[in-house]
Amino acid sequence: MLKISLGFHKCIRHLPSGNSEISLKLLTSFTPPVKQPTGALCFYPSSAAARTVKRFSNMAASNSDHNQGYTVAKDDRISRISSSIRVIPDFPKPGIIFQDITTMLLDPVAFRDTIDLFVERYKEKNISVVAGVEARGFIFGPPIALAIGAKFVPMRKPNKLPGAVISEEYSLEYGTDIMEMHVGAVQAGERTLVIDDLIATGGTLVAAIKLLERVGANVVECACVIELPDLKGRDRLGGKPLFVLVSST
Amino acid sequence: MSAGENDGSADRINGIKSTLRVVPDFPKPGILFLDITTLLLDPKAFKDTIDLFVERYKQKDISVVAGIEARGFMFGPAIALAIGAKFVPLRKPKKLPGEVISEKYVLEYGTDCLEMHVGAVEPGERALVIDDLVATGGTLCAAMNLLERAGAVVVECACVIEVPDLKGRERLRLHGKPLYVLIESRFEPTS
Repeated sequence: MLKISLGFHKCIRHLPSGNSEISLKLLTSFTPPVKQPTGALCFYPSSAAARTVKRFSNMAASNSDHNQGYTVAKDDRISRISSSIRVIPDFPKPGIIFQDITTMLLDPVAFRDTIDLFVERYKEKNISVVAGVEARGFIFGPPIALAIGAKFVPMRKPNKLPGAVISEEYSLEYGTDIMEMHVGAVQAGERTLVIDDLIATGGTLVAAIKLLERVGANVVECACVIELPDLKGRDRLGGKPLFVLVSST
Repeated sequence: MSAGENDGSADRINGIKSTLRVVPDFPKPGILFLDITTLLLDPKAFKDTIDLFVERYKQKDISVVAGIEARGFMFGPAIALAIGAKFVPLRKPKKLPGEVISEKYVLEYGTDCLEMHVGAVEPGERALVIDDLVATGGTLCAAMNLLERAGAVVVECACVIEVPDLKGRERLRLHGKPLYVLIESRFEPTS
């Protein structure tokens, strides 16, 4: 039974297209943490203002469809994964609603299902490199790499990787940042995935794609647990396909 | 204890060891940095690494694997998944959203801080702490303190590599906890 995992009032609307829309209205009062039947501890966020957070699950696109240039998973395991993710308002700064995957990591079934969904998609695709973006990409990338027999390549903030690296500068909302990859980690022609927990504007994924392409790798797809479609990251991936499990508006 | 002692894993250990690389003068002159990223580029060695930890811990009723940012994140989740435990990231300050507890610890110069989510771990849970390497043991002790403050029982700390000269094992022993590693790295002076 799907239970409300956060301090939200939830209502489900079934749309004529066959999709369902789940609306979650944030409660204003703080209440103590509630333990879910799954064992994951969930939190009621405190917030001065009520906001509506909508989530779309079970979208019509199937695993093999490319709907508007991206793919969102459709699978019975998705609703448990989706409800295990908690939302933290005003982090890292006021007005931002942060999608926190750490609560999913506390639910061994949801975490296992998350990895399985990616592995099922990629295991027959001759992928030899899984590149994970620091730091939450390091949580999902290695289990996927291990299951499909690929290398894991960490894409890191500056000055973390020892030895020779190549660097790519990318834009943030204010200012720029740098992503680095080891020289020699990836060979020309290798088929590669890029993994991160979430895609927002797509800036980080683009930097990762550029680093891999600079050494001649073939980026097959980008894969994230969560997409924020309103920020249009998928349109910025230079034509590279994107696969996500949960789309959150 | 180290792997390879009477548990039939010597071949896998040697294979893992051969993938590690040493980068001199990183992050600063005089330091010989043990780089595990080359291990991650060898799927068999990486799988063997995880398998060795999983074989040790799967029957030990561990419900929490805590991994230290960032290289502990590369090993901890795969172990957690294989033994059916939660994965709890222990992070640098201000990375975890929501309510956290913090533990300060001493570096060679200055201090640093490790954080864990409130509510991630419940009293009585049996926990492992995972990191790629143990040097002085300062980070591992901070991690253990966080888990114990939340009421967990730390069963063991586990790392791929130990640098014995830096006496991390002794520091953990003072804390009352055992350390398990796959590889010991001793630097022989060249004459």
